[in-house]
Amino acid sequence: MPSTAGSGEPNSDLDATQPDFDVYQAYQRALADEETSPPLAAILSLTELVTRSDAGTMFELVQALNVGAESLKKRVPNQIGLAAGCELFIGFVTLFPHESANFSELKREIVHQGKSYTLSAVNFRSKIAELVLGFIKDDSVILTHSYSRVVTQALLHAHTRKRISVYVTEARPRGLGLKTYETLTAVGIPCTMVLDSAVAYVMDKVDFVLVGSEAVVESGGLINAVGSNQMAIIAKAENKPFYALAESYKFHRSFPLSQYDLPTHNSGILSFAHPTNRPASEPARSPRASPQRTMTSEQMDRNPDVDYTTPDLISLVFSDVGVLTPGGVSQYLVGMFAGL
Amino acid sequence: MTRTIVMSSISHRHFRAPSQTDGTGQNDPPTAGAAQKPQKQLTKAERRELQERQRAAKAAQTGSSTVKQPRPTAPASSHPKKGGKGSEGPVQGRGSPSTGPSGPPNKSTKESKPTAATAAEEAAGRSRGLRIFSHFALQKSVGHVAKGDVHPAIVRLGLMFAEFKICGANARSIATLSVFKRVIQDYTTPANNTLSRHLMTHLSVQISHLVSARPMSVTMGNAIRQLKLEISGSDIDLPEQDAKDALCGKIDNYIRDRIIIADQVIQETAMKKIHDGDVVLTYARSSIVQKVLLEAWAGGTQFSVIVVDSRPMLEGKRLLSTLAAAAIPCTYLLLPALGCVISEVSIVLVGAHSIHSNGAIFSRAGTALVAMMAKQHSVPVVVCCETYKFSEGVRLDSFTKNELAPPGDPFSSFPRNRSPGSLVIQNQPNLEILNPLYDLTPPSSITAVVTEAGVIPPDAISSIPLALGRLV
Repeated sequence: MPSTAGSGEPNSDLDATQPDFDVYQAYQRALADEETSPPLAAILSLTELVTRSDAGTMFELVQALNVGAESLKKRVPNQIGLAAGCELFIGFVTLFPHESANFSELKREIVHQGKSYTLSAVNFRSKIAELVLGFIKDDSVILTHSYSRVVTQALLHAHTRKRISVYVTEARPRGLGLKTYETLTAVGIPCTMVLDSAVAYVMDKVDFVLVGSEAVVESGGLINAVGSNQMAIIAKAENKPFYALAESYKFHRSFPLSQYDLPTHNSGILSFAHPTNRPASEPARSPRASPQRTMTSEQMDRNPDVDYTTPDLISLVFSDVGVLTPGGVSQYLVGMFAGL
Repeated sequence: MTRTIVMSSISHRHFRAPSQTDGTGQNDPPTAGAAQKPQKQLTKAERRELQERQRAAKAAQTGSSTVKQPRPTAPASSHPKKGGKGSEGPVQGRGSPSTGPSGPPNKSTKESKPTAATAAEEAAGRSRGLRIFSHFALQKSVGHVAKGDVHPAIVRLGLMFAEFKICGANARSIATLSVFKRVIQDYTTPANNTLSRHLMTHLSVQISHLVSARPMSVTMGNAIRQLKLEISGSDIDLPEQDAKDALCGKIDNYIRDRIIIADQVIQETAMKKIHDGDVVLTYARSSIVQKVLLEAWAGGTQFSVIVVDSRPMLEGKRLLSTLAAAAIPCTYLLLPALGCVISEVSIVLVGAHSIHSNGAIFSRAGTALVAMMAKQHSVPVVVCCETYKFSEGVRLDSFTKNELAPPGDPFSSFPRNRSPGSLVIQNQPNLEILNPLYDLTPPSSITAVVTEAGVIPPDAISSIPLALGRLV
């Protein structure tokens, strides 16, 4: 894996950055904050890179940023959200007006803008929560998937104004649904955990589906924790609205054509194990013998973390720039990034 | 290189040939039957000899200026009988040398074109059963009679357009722009006039000549609009030569930025969508798809290609030979066999003639069929298209505006015991041959459009101008 091999090496290559600064560690530091999502962490770590960088020209700075973004992407296994953040920040720096008297002032200005953006980004979620509220009727039954900060906040906000009850999936293998469940029950929202495989069973009972996102892509589709796609398909089959919540910094300029076109897909995922290669001790670990019927970590590795939901399955995307149809998302993205 | 196209264009002329015995119209069935005879009476050796003579005459003529071409045709119409004998070799079309020795004997019939043209129009009026398609631009046998002050290079280009020797949206735009550079360089502003005003009128004559050869493509329209904008914006005080050089520079930039560089960006983007082990399906031949496939293969991706093709143009053959030469594993099949292979396909890559603001793609006839079939089988359909092919209008069907393809390629028909000529179906009073050149792929069956401004879903196509506004 490149994550172990290339530690720090990409950074030492660029003369514009001080050798003691590791963008990856800055990223991890930023991510340690519970409220910071990967795109924001990426922006924060890149602003730190700008502060530490001794680049003398805009070209050098953008180059240093690109190298930093690349090294981040190499070392983080799920690079989608991160890539969206890097893209946004580098795009912002590229188009930044050169009005300052000298370059160090310009850099200071960039850092200032980057920091104030991440601060203001905290408000994005309450904005989205307010938008979602308009779509929630009293006594709504909502189905959500896994854990998402923005969905949780939207549900908590809705709870203060309306009566809602929530079904949340367990979302294996990480089981993050449990986190949502605990947060919601703590404030007294009626909440029930359902199995990932029980989504079709529960769908008839819900009014709409609400999911968060890792990234919203140029097709208007959605990249989110694995299981979102099947949930969207079932919702479509039952004619239930499928709403995605995404802060605008999660808008990502990529266009997956299928699940296997995602940047997270690798040849290991879904590969077939060779039965002949199994060690002799393997039969002892047959399902009957193991106390708990769960997958081994080796089996888990053959599974994807995220999946791609096509735009035709999504009813609306709620973001801080407004409530958009999937087509609207792609128009927004084309307009936003085409000049870069 | 332009083999199939050349052949088809020749067939188009050739099989009208018999009618010149009476010089009225090739669509009269009785004359057509009777006229077949003189041709058959020639023995093989005679025909060969005739051809050799023509070629020699042609070779002698190529040295001289091409400008003279238009003139000798006028007399040709007055004694069409001679034309069949090839005595007027010098007047031949440029395409004849590329025909093999097995080619049809009386290629020289092109001289009778003006006759054929008027006759064709007459006959068209009579024989056209399907009135609803009468607005599809018929290929007019233009070219020789140029109205107004038409530059010789434009006349030449018009002929090449009309005979489908230059074909394809990119090739046509590049050719047009390059010829316009010559036109601009050869232009001198008349007294009491300014370049920025008069050059426009001069160019309009050239453009209308080109349009009379073949309807203007969206790409040419966009390029010409840009050129006119540049002309009207050129400084009056600039010395004439400088202004002309500046315009030529602008044209070069347009070709570079909007076509050449755009193609490179599209290549890089599109080749990332091809993964190891993929089966790529493409229809007919698009220059950009060809580049993408070659580039992806050169980049080390292991994939195979299915080339789907269809009569009458069989353009896929050219793509096939290029891909096969690069050692890419290929399969070639005709459109009816598509259903058998579609489930094997991982991605469909096609090119486009133009792209409309509702996300519809106007492309070679048959593309819509391929795209719909792929959509039905959940195969992603990716269209490669430069943004200069964008057209503001909304297009809902392929009937309101279309073109007719040149008639079929006679040499590919299989019954070998019959002469290729007898295999070609022609328009007759009770028979209308309809070969639309393009069709419209609805946005619903397109997954993504790869442009130089990024990969865009069809429903966001209308934001291309916005994207381009930012680019400038």
